[in-house]
Amino acid sequence: MARVVLNDIRKSFGAVEVIKGIDLTIEDGEFCVFVGPSGCGKSTLLRIISGLEEQTSGGIEIGGRDVSLAEPAERGIAMVFQSYALYPHLTVRENIGFGLSLARRPKAEIAAAVKKVAETLQLTPLLDRKPKALSGGQRQRVAIGRAIVRDPGVFLFDEPLSNLDAALRAQMRIELTELHAKLGATMIYVTHDQVEAMTMADKIVVLNGGRIEQVGTPMELYEHPATPFVAGFIGSPTMNLYEGKVARQMGCDTYGIRPEHLTLSSDEGRWQGRVRHVERLGADSIVHLDVPDLGPLVARTTGDARIAPGEALWARPQEGREFRYGAV
Amino acid sequence: MKRRQYLIGALSLAVAFVVFVIPFIFVFLNAAKTAAESATLDFSWPREWRFWQNLVEVVQARDYMLLLAYFNSTVITVGAIALMVVSGAMVGYLLQRRRTPWNRIIYGFVLAGLIIPPAVVPTIWLLQQIGLFKSITGMIFIQCAYGLGFTVLLYRAFIATIPRDLDEAAIIDGAKPWQVFFKVILPLLKPVTVTVIVVQSITIFNDFTHPLYYLPGAENVTVQLTLYNFQSQFVSQMNLLFMNILLVTVPPLIVFVFFNRQIVAGMTSGAVKG
Ligand SMILES: Nc1ncnc2c1ncn2[C@@H]1O[C@H](COP(=O)(O)OP(=O)(O)OP(=O)(O)O)[C@@H](O)[C@H]1O
Ligand SMILES: [Mg+2]
Repeated sequence: MARVVLNDIRKSFGAVEVIKGIDLTIEDGEFCVFVGPSGCGKSTLLRIISGLEEQTSGGIEIGGRDVSLAEPAERGIAMVFQSYALYPHLTVRENIGFGLSLARRPKAEIAAAVKKVAETLQLTPLLDRKPKALSGGQRQRVAIGRAIVRDPGVFLFDEPLSNLDAALRAQMRIELTELHAKLGATMIYVTHDQVEAMTMADKIVVLNGGRIEQVGTPMELYEHPATPFVAGFIGSPTMNLYEGKVARQMGCDTYGIRPEHLTLSSDEGRWQGRVRHVERLGADSIVHLDVPDLGPLVARTTGDARIAPGEALWARPQEGREFRYGAV
Repeated sequence: MKRRQYLIGALSLAVAFVVFVIPFIFVFLNAAKTAAESATLDFSWPREWRFWQNLVEVVQARDYMLLLAYFNSTVITVGAIALMVVSGAMVGYLLQRRRTPWNRIIYGFVLAGLIIPPAVVPTIWLLQQIGLFKSITGMIFIQCAYGLGFTVLLYRAFIATIPRDLDEAAIIDGAKPWQVFFKVILPLLKPVTVTVIVVQSITIFNDFTHPLYYLPGAENVTVQLTLYNFQSQFVSQMNLLFMNILLVTVPPLIVFVFFNRQIVAGMTSGAVKG
């Protein structure tokens, strides 16, 4: 129903091209996450889909309809902003019902729709409050409620969780995933947090400098990153990447190995290094090694590993888990 | 430290008393005297209280001219302010939100309106050409024009503190541009609007010179011009003049007393939120 197709979207601000030709299909009901470093054009691309920003060239189809030039309200989309963008002078009830009252729907219908949304999001006790009397998480819910009530085919989220604290973020991640399962709508979600991307997405689109680096499911990107950029972006802690002479010795331009794919031992391995620092996360420990001729190397091991700074350790990459880019 | 603050407070109160309250008492006392007694302009207790009789006489003078003046001044004030608020907010909104080459030109006009002193004779000529000289409508336009530059700047600065996300959220909710303005932006401008209403209404209601130039004619009299009723070359009735002053200054004073908290809030809210 609400399949989103982007055809060679380009966008320039003045002389600067920010989006450099994006072709992408997002299937109906898919949870698609755009990730990438700051300034790579995620928000711009989302705003082009929403219609708030006009593309310089290229076409957009939503639900089989060409909406390249359509007004935002006619695209069958709803958007949740990072700043929530609640109307400060309206109550929660009026905020949620704003779109419907603009469309001059009957009062009873608006009331019923608002009530239903409020129940879904547990907002019923807050309906008569103004936004300034709500906590961050509650505001976020109202913003989501305002999107749901429009009954859109496509939800657009621009970093909706970045203003929340870590615990609330984890909770909202689950709530959003459940909401997606319940509504079955297409969702496009922008974030620069790869944890959000990995945990929520059906499909991740990695953007870099206005271009798509790779598209795939979270596990595809994790197991088969197509470029060193994706390899370094997906996964936490980030992959160990080496270029230059070290990489050439191993027969490639860029060599990568994930911290969790290194086996540490005290007597044998490929590289020997000295432990500089150990981060204890409880279940895991992150070990930072200094390896002569290689540089810093990060490895992940069990939480109860007895490793102290200054110790000499061997690290060995696991079979078939090494990445070689530009191999000769 | 405490003692010094106390002293400074007492001193400023004393200055305020001399500058603002003593003249007011003087006006009040003289407004209650007989014509002969008030002619000496003494700061003394009236020998005979004629407050009520003077009041009635002032109101009835020249065929209830004061009431007509109240009516005219009110119409001018309300009309000019309504026009000023709506157009000032709209212009401020567009100046702040839209990027067009016109912005610089419009902004130039706004500043010109603030800086260049008004020229009376050409203005009268223009009013005559468009048939608005000696009319209340013309006066409304003039008062609106005088205040508009300041109003636009005030609104523009305040709108800059309203996040653009709000406009965009409304657009996605299906609001047309005018609905974005009237349903989302304008209600948020209330603090500035109150400031504009209060400051400008006092200015316009109390204006003496502009009605004198642009609005001649007995039927067009405004409140400040009624003062002429009791002071002319041949007759001076100081007691009635002072009563008239009293009647003319009281309405703006009441407005100010009631709204003064909001005025200050509106003046500073744009600045602090930044
Ligand atoms: N209105 C604009 N005018 C000029 N340049 C702009 C405008 N909006 C965005 N840009 C530029 O486009 C580029 C992409 O911006 P965008 O906001 O899409 O980045 P982003 O990926 O969302 O970054 P972040 O993660 O920091 O939000 C940036 O270099 C930015 O400076
Ligand atoms: Mg962004």
